[in-house]
Amino acid sequence: MAYLDINQVVKRYEGHTALAGVSMQVPQGCIYGLLGPNGAGKSTLIRIINRIIAADEGTVTLGGKPMTDADIAHIGYLPEERGLYKKMKVGEHIVYLGRLKGMTKADALASMHWWLDRFDLKEWENKKVEALSKGMQQKVQFIATVIHRPPLLIFDEPFSGFDPVNAEQLKVEILALRDQGSTILFSTHNMASVEEICQQITLLNHAQVVLTGSVDEVKQQHKKNIIAVQSPDSIEQNPALFTLLPTDPVKKDDILIKLAQGVQVRDAIAWLNDHYRLTGFTEVLPSMNEIFIETVKSQQNLHNNG
Amino acid sequence: MDKLRLIIAREYMSIVGRKSFIIMTILFPFLMIAIGSIPVLMTMLNNSGDQTEQIAVIDETGRYSAALQSDNRYNFVAIKGDTLTNAREFYDKSKGSISAVIVIPRDVETSAQVNIYSESTVAPALTSMVNNALTDTIQNAKLAAKGIPDLQKIVEETSIDLDVRTVTWQQDGNETESSSDIAMGLGMILAMVIYIFVMMCGSMIMNNVIEEKTNRIVEVVVSSCRPFHLMLGKIIGVGLSGLTQMAIWIVLLAIAGSVMGNVLGGLAASPEAIAPGMDASEVNNVATDFMQQIMSINYTPIIINFLLYFIGGYLLYSAIFAALGSAVDQASDTSQFLWPVMMLMIIALYAAIGCAENPNGPMAFWCSMIPFTSPIVMMIRLPYDVPLWQMFLSHALLLGTALAIVWCAARIYRRGILHYGQKASFNDLFKWIK
Repeated sequence: MAYLDINQVVKRYEGHTALAGVSMQVPQGCIYGLLGPNGAGKSTLIRIINRIIAADEGTVTLGGKPMTDADIAHIGYLPEERGLYKKMKVGEHIVYLGRLKGMTKADALASMHWWLDRFDLKEWENKKVEALSKGMQQKVQFIATVIHRPPLLIFDEPFSGFDPVNAEQLKVEILALRDQGSTILFSTHNMASVEEICQQITLLNHAQVVLTGSVDEVKQQHKKNIIAVQSPDSIEQNPALFTLLPTDPVKKDDILIKLAQGVQVRDAIAWLNDHYRLTGFTEVLPSMNEIFIETVKSQQNLHNNG
Repeated sequence: MDKLRLIIAREYMSIVGRKSFIIMTILFPFLMIAIGSIPVLMTMLNNSGDQTEQIAVIDETGRYSAALQSDNRYNFVAIKGDTLTNAREFYDKSKGSISAVIVIPRDVETSAQVNIYSESTVAPALTSMVNNALTDTIQNAKLAAKGIPDLQKIVEETSIDLDVRTVTWQQDGNETESSSDIAMGLGMILAMVIYIFVMMCGSMIMNNVIEEKTNRIVEVVVSSCRPFHLMLGKIIGVGLSGLTQMAIWIVLLAIAGSVMGNVLGGLAASPEAIAPGMDASEVNNVATDFMQQIMSINYTPIIINFLLYFIGGYLLYSAIFAALGSAVDQASDTSQFLWPVMMLMIIALYAAIGCAENPNGPMAFWCSMIPFTSPIVMMIRLPYDVPLWQMFLSHALLLGTALAIVWCAARIYRRGILHYGQKASFNDLFKWIK
């Protein structure tokens, strides 16, 4: 059963509907991507899960029980637009946010020291937040999100503002948290990072779920029967089996062929192998980026036509 | 409740721990004392003028120059010659050793005019001295000229200096002498304390809310606690920091006051410091009178009522300030919402000043019932024994309104803090309340 179960959630504002009956099941111990263009309703959904705002209709259950205010202690939330109290000291700040989540002072202190140590921020504990570089502030923000070891973590664009080295460190930490049993809801526009760390995704558009499933399933569903073939010969197209596609300027050695309707991969490869010298072939699966753009655009056309 | 306490503690420490707060808290009383003692110091400097100025007097009547008594600042020298040209010559010849020439014209009794000539501006001290000295003398001379025997004595006997004393009848039949001046002064001080406190803490709350919002920390915080707790914690925390500051000021002022009192008391005890015409016992009498009147005021109800109005008024206005802060993205956008609040507060202050004239009149009554003005206006009325039913009604109205405003403010606040971009209008605010 899903750890976080969102069932037919509706949220209306004056003049527009932010969520029109959204359902989503996030299994325990999973990194779950919540995707969607700007204004699709992701932030509203995240705020509802965080109980910052209330849903007009629908239910949210956590661990099989309807969510209550007490459950916010079980959530760690890193908003996209984030900030800290500039005048507070780093250590005090982390402890304050930890205690707001219901930790005891002693626990919060111990956890704060452990995390500062892990992120090499120990000597900054008694410095004011404003004295830190932006990257360090982001780390402090991350620590404040996870300090109470919540079973559910919600990250909204966690990698924005991080340099590649720090982003990598953050990714390692997120994966470690997942391995320790945390369930992670991950909202981002960065599709590369989705492919890297998410097992499942839900794509929101215009307040509705338009795509959901595991990353592999989604890719299989959206594959275009394209094969990248490597060969020293120049391949002519065979309309009965396949047509040639223009080569990708980045990967010039790959010859892209699109299989004709109903043609199996092995038939096409067998034919190619008979006629040319094949050195390799791979099935081309669409990237999440392509799937995202394709889905959102087709929705747009639907909207425009409807 | 634990979270509320945490928030209050953080808000409180974030203000009280600030360097500017500590500096301001310690320096302010000294600043006040410094400002207060400037006039005293200036008079001291004035009076210790090292040089005695020579003033020439041309008395065309020949009767009044004697009235001008020389002292250590001005030495009056009567000169012969009775025309103005002479005076000018005399002045020029003196080459600055004479600083002014006073001419008492022949017809001074009818024209009531005396001229002082000088190349530089004549000090007001000299003009008023001449005025004081000559008015009485000329008046007496004119009275004497009427030829009625003992006229001067009659006038003296009939002139009165009315002393109006106010006496309060106590329930038990006793009478206590009360002073409206002191009661009014006390009321004004209490009203100003509430006004300044609400303004100061209110704007601090508003800026805090805006800062949290532009910082974006607010979303993290409200994912851990209810927005209402954050708002309430802020109001209470900032209020407590203000009270702390006030308490420190009172202690410092009391210490400084007693030190100053000792120093001034020492000065007053020295005979030369007492104003001429007033002997030491008279000074003492005035002081004991003053003390008696201060003691005659019944402080217990005033203090209790002050605290209740203080809390009610502070809650009412600070909730409004918090809601306004949440509705904008930056401090410069607040003006459109702020002016009605400022107007209310200024009206309250003016009403308070107006009510001082007639603390039991209709304006005083209505303004001490309306919750937006009552915390300030009632301060003026407090020393004048307000009827009990008015007291209760006013308190009930204030408390009820304050709670209603806090409720509305909380609803605006929880929408406002997450509202970015397009500036909210009054319409939006009302929609958010619904």
